[in-house]
Amino acid sequence: MTGATVAALLAQGSPLLACAVVLIALRGRPRAAAALGIAGMGVSFAASAYLVAAVAVPGHSFLAQTVFLPVDAAHSLAFGVLLDPLSTTMALVVSGITLAVMAYSTGYMAGDPGYARYFGFLALFAWAMQGLVLSANLLQTLAFWELVGLASFLLIGFWFERPAPAAAARKAFIMTRVGDVGFLLGVLLLLRALGLATIPDVIAAAAPGGALTPRTVSVAAALLLMGVIGKSAQGPLFTWLPDAMEGPTPVSALLHSATMVAAGVYLVARLHPLFMAAPAVMHALLWLALVTALATATMAMVATDIKRVLAYSTISQLGYMLMGLAAGSAAAGFFHLVTHAGFKALLFLSAGIFIHHAHSNEMQEISERAPWSQRAGVIGLVAGSAALAGVIPFAGYFSKEAILGSLGTGASPLVVALAYLGAGLTAYYAFRMVFVTLGGTGARAHGGTDAPTHGGTGERGHGATAGERAMQVTVLLLAVLTLVLGYLGPWLGARLAPGEAAHGPFDVGVGALAALALVAAGIALAWVEFGRRGARRVGFVERMPALARFFGDNWYLDRLYRATVIRWAVALARAAHWNDRTIVDGATDGLADGTIGGGRLLALVQSGYVQVYLTVALGLIAALAYVLGRAGGVP
Amino acid sequence: MTWLHWYLLVALLLFCVGLYGLVQRRSLIAMLIALELMLAAVSLNIVAITSLSGSSSSVGQVVALILIGVAAAEGAIALSLFVAIQREVQSINVENLSELKG
Amino acid sequence: MNWNAFLFGASAALALVGALFAVGLKNIFHNILGFALSLVGVAGLFLTLGSDFLAIVLLLVYVGALGIAMVYAVMLSQPLDTPRTPRSLPKVVGSALLAAVVAMALWLVIRRAHFPPSGGSLEVTPQMTGYRLLSDYVLAFELISILLVIAMMGAVMVARKDRSRSGRAASAAPKASP
Repeated sequence: MTGATVAALLAQGSPLLACAVVLIALRGRPRAAAALGIAGMGVSFAASAYLVAAVAVPGHSFLAQTVFLPVDAAHSLAFGVLLDPLSTTMALVVSGITLAVMAYSTGYMAGDPGYARYFGFLALFAWAMQGLVLSANLLQTLAFWELVGLASFLLIGFWFERPAPAAAARKAFIMTRVGDVGFLLGVLLLLRALGLATIPDVIAAAAPGGALTPRTVSVAAALLLMGVIGKSAQGPLFTWLPDAMEGPTPVSALLHSATMVAAGVYLVARLHPLFMAAPAVMHALLWLALVTALATATMAMVATDIKRVLAYSTISQLGYMLMGLAAGSAAAGFFHLVTHAGFKALLFLSAGIFIHHAHSNEMQEISERAPWSQRAGVIGLVAGSAALAGVIPFAGYFSKEAILGSLGTGASPLVVALAYLGAGLTAYYAFRMVFVTLGGTGARAHGGTDAPTHGGTGERGHGATAGERAMQVTVLLLAVLTLVLGYLGPWLGARLAPGEAAHGPFDVGVGALAALALVAAGIALAWVEFGRRGARRVGFVERMPALARFFGDNWYLDRLYRATVIRWAVALARAAHWNDRTIVDGATDGLADGTIGGGRLLALVQSGYVQVYLTVALGLIAALAYVLGRAGGVP
Repeated sequence: MTWLHWYLLVALLLFCVGLYGLVQRRSLIAMLIALELMLAAVSLNIVAITSLSGSSSSVGQVVALILIGVAAAEGAIALSLFVAIQREVQSINVENLSELKG
Repeated sequence: MNWNAFLFGASAALALVGALFAVGLKNIFHNILGFALSLVGVAGLFLTLGSDFLAIVLLLVYVGALGIAMVYAVMLSQPLDTPRTPRSLPKVVGSALLAAVVAMALWLVIRRAHFPPSGGSLEVTPQMTGYRLLSDYVLAFELISILLVIAMMGAVMVARKDRSRSGRAASAAPKASP
């Protein structure tokens, strides 16, 4: 085995080992569990860094695979690693963000009774995500895809004793499952057509001269997209993500912004040539992502819970990534994925600092409890929001520019216009969040006194000063990163799309200027409404209560689901229950009763009366004699 | 329908009437009466067959005589058994004698 | 007039009617009388078959001995004023059904049976029967004698009162099981 293979296995294996040891042996020793978890992630990060250095050469691709369950010549189960710039970069991003989140969690989750379990589950997630990223064939990807879903379920419902997190975990799992049905069907379709095929084989087969017909490619692409829609919370399947904010804030930072939900985007990037061979499907995806991005931006504009704003923002940005990919540029979409991972994790972790301090998720309440005393949090929030809005020179500007640029070349003007509108809305809601959280009376008070009332949806786990320091250091590190990541663009572009013309980080064209102008307008509007002294702190949407209610309730999508799908499912479940009780159990019980009844009937023969015995015996013999007589004797 | 068949028919009818009585009557003595009817029918059968077909009829006579003797012996035993039963369970109703039930 | 046929018919009718009385009537004495009547009919049938000795023996043994013994048994067993429980219809129907089925089966067998034609004459005398009994069938003759003795002894022993239960002093006779 080569060094690269070893490194790849290490990148997956060390979190797995950490998870196993923590969950089995270290439940009662929280500090040891955290230490082991962080150590495991450290090894994984180092291995991923090595892989990037060794493998991320333009055009380089390395695949190693072994069959571990042979079935027949064409269909067997194989496990392997696929190492190329895309997978290794993603592995580095995943392990890096996980490491940061783990370090942050030592402060945030300190004192929680499930501390060790938490680190075990985080390690489980890391293993699954790394496995997904580095997998060599689609069945393996599918397996890890489901494992990531499991980790998400376990972590959203971490505080399972309360009803809301448990319900949110169920909702997340079931909704992503709905999408996963399509994913499974797509994988099976490709399996049937190609047998045991590695991902590069699949891509080659989807090319115009390859083994798959265009029809098969389109159908497979559409089916795989169902999984992407579920996992990345687009279109009709997005409502689980806002509810998933019931989990601990570091979990939201890791899974539901930076990495897990990005797995769908990663899949599209991974199989980009296959998807590009189905242009109709990509066109549909473009519109779906665009509508999702705009709709969730409107929902972020009226949300009062800081985590919900960030959740809607995540969905919106995922839409942008998918738009970039659908318009034809894998490099742009993936670049935005990387920068988004950085600044969204930063935003969540900063929000976590405020939540931890103010014991509440509501921005209004946070603003009343001396937010400016949390300096690292303030820095993180502002830097992250600037990156999100796309302010130069923060990272988000460059990646968003790349996407808007690719839309400009690959999509209709209407799409482009709406995408720009979305960028403006993004800036507006991001800075609305900043101004509401950091403004208001009592905001500038110093001193870290806790709020007099313990209230709201604040989360548990208040740590010592050392823990708070861990949180602050992590946030500051990530803030620095957001300034740096933007320059990654050309590097990524060279490796992921060698043929495309890369524009440098400071290329300023008409499109870029228009975007910056819209961003400025959004920020200005937010300032006018929320930020300046004497502002009314009411958004223009909130002045229209009906519209505010519509935006605030997931565009009534959950209500629709409750009235239709859920009601039908419950009715079906009731029918199945009735069937089980009445028909299945009834048949079995009826059989038993019939047997008993038959037995009772036959027992009448053993009555003890001579006359009965005589009757039975003679009757049978006579009947036998009659039959034999008719038949002419014994045969 | 030869003569033989007529005799056999009468014997058959006697037998079946006796069978009816054996199965239907409640009193043990009534059952015994029916049983003796059946035995009489059997001896009639044997005598008829040996007399009206076959070669020698004295065999039938012998058999019938033995049969009558056996019937008498069995009737005597049965009646003494009934007396003993009456002493034990104070009844000669066959429906009370079902200890072998089940 | 065909006396044979007339005699046959009368005897058969007597036998069957007596049988029906024997099983159908409610009073046990009527049953015994019907039994006797039926046996008279059977004896008549024996006469038509030429077995006059057998007919007389039948009457002597069945009617004379067995019938009287039955009357004694009735006297010794059931009190004559017990209330009669009515017959149960299912039992009557079931018994009639059984009798019918058996009759049908036996009649089928009779119809299909092949009886070789009669060779000898109808004449059989008691001399011939006696001769047979003491030559070819002597074993059966002896055995039936023993059987009758045993039956006699057995009947006495079975019907005897159990001495040990009544508490009287043991008698000179050997203790016998009840």
